[in-house]
Amino acid sequence: MKALAVRGRRILFVGGKGGVGKTTTASSLALQAAEAGKRVLLVSTDPAHSLGDLFDTRIGNRPRRLHPNLDALEIDPEDEVNRYLAGVESTMRGFVHPEMYSEIERQMALTRHSPGAAEAALMERMARIMGEAEGDYDQVVFDTAPTGHTLRLLTLPEIMTAWMDGLLKSRDRSESFGRAVRRLTGDPAGEGALSGATSQAAASEEEKGRSADELSWFQQAEEGPSDPRARRIRELLMARRRIFSGARRLLLDPKVTAFVMVLVPEKLPVLETEKAIAVLREHRVPIAGLVVNRVLPEEPLGEFLESRRAQEAEYLNRIDRIFSQYVRIRVPLLRRDVQGMESLREVARHLPIVD
Amino acid sequence: MKRWEVWAEKLRRAGSLMREFYIAPHRGVVARAKRDEDDLFMLLVFSEMMGIPNPASYYTLEVLPLLYEGFHEWHIRMGMERSPLDHFKCC
Repeated sequence: MKALAVRGRRILFVGGKGGVGKTTTASSLALQAAEAGKRVLLVSTDPAHSLGDLFDTRIGNRPRRLHPNLDALEIDPEDEVNRYLAGVESTMRGFVHPEMYSEIERQMALTRHSPGAAEAALMERMARIMGEAEGDYDQVVFDTAPTGHTLRLLTLPEIMTAWMDGLLKSRDRSESFGRAVRRLTGDPAGEGALSGATSQAAASEEEKGRSADELSWFQQAEEGPSDPRARRIRELLMARRRIFSGARRLLLDPKVTAFVMVLVPEKLPVLETEKAIAVLREHRVPIAGLVVNRVLPEEPLGEFLESRRAQEAEYLNRIDRIFSQYVRIRVPLLRRDVQGMESLREVARHLPIVD
Repeated sequence: MKRWEVWAEKLRRAGSLMREFYIAPHRGVVARAKRDEDDLFMLLVFSEMMGIPNPASYYTLEVLPLLYEGFHEWHIRMGMERSPLDHFKCC
């Protein structure tokens, strides 16, 4: 029997077009792993959360236990933005002259309402969860928002890492110039000062040439900036870079991460899945397989549904043809809505997983 | 003061003058290079507010408080007499 090879993966993404059953699939996979003895964290990233509704309980921005081995949380981007801004505010109190507080507060208010803020906060939280969950959980299952959003998450760590690298390099050059100026200003023994400066310049020239992915040279800046502000800026940028490059590394590691695409045998979901898989492949994100959801069950259905079935067969054929290289699991349409643990177990029976 | 000590002092002073004479231009060059680099950093971090898309503006917000101090000098140096930001009036 076909099965999704996701049991050993630490991070699981469940994606697909809106309404195809991502939340159900993610929950069923998570429950299955939990009942097999793994400690699982189920995370909803869709701004319109429905995880709580599925489990008939309230789930918030903090992990909540649903089952002895299963915790769930629904990321609340607004809450994340507020927490972040509170952090910025406390930095501000430490470094900015009180006269300027109102200006920065205005800036923060703008950020709070800018369209990108919630998304940026969501991405950051996801990246942090990926990095930090390892000790507490064997597996994290992300129930993602509709496809476009998820794909952005995949590209973001790359862009952010590059951006932070650019900023850090700029800081780095500034600091090495600063050191050189200090040497030229001090009155050390004779001609040593000038030659020291030239070798410094040569060293920074060399640094520029090194590969962007190498973090070591950022850290080994021997003296580090002497100005507390410059030091703090560097620390903040470094911390950001670490989060994003960590997420990126995990995301692309086929031993750690697996992506499960959910679709239903209809025209638009098939097309969207095709596009999504092309993007995932382009970014070399490991794909574990497809879940073809709500397939009409194999029993007489009456004339109306039989004609639906004929159309469905075309799409199922098409799915088998285009996605032939991936594992495809068919989950039948059930008699009733999937609601609560028992019906998730029923879904799980159709959704076998292996290591 | 002995005569040789006076000479030694004069020589020392001449030496440090010479040193300054040769080193000062280099120091100026390096200091300017540092300032250019800092200006560029400022531009990267403040770019969004000036209409240049910055994919990281949300994430770099936290370094802004550390940069405001130098903001006024920066926009003057960039040839902008008044603060270029609607919401940031430092002068």
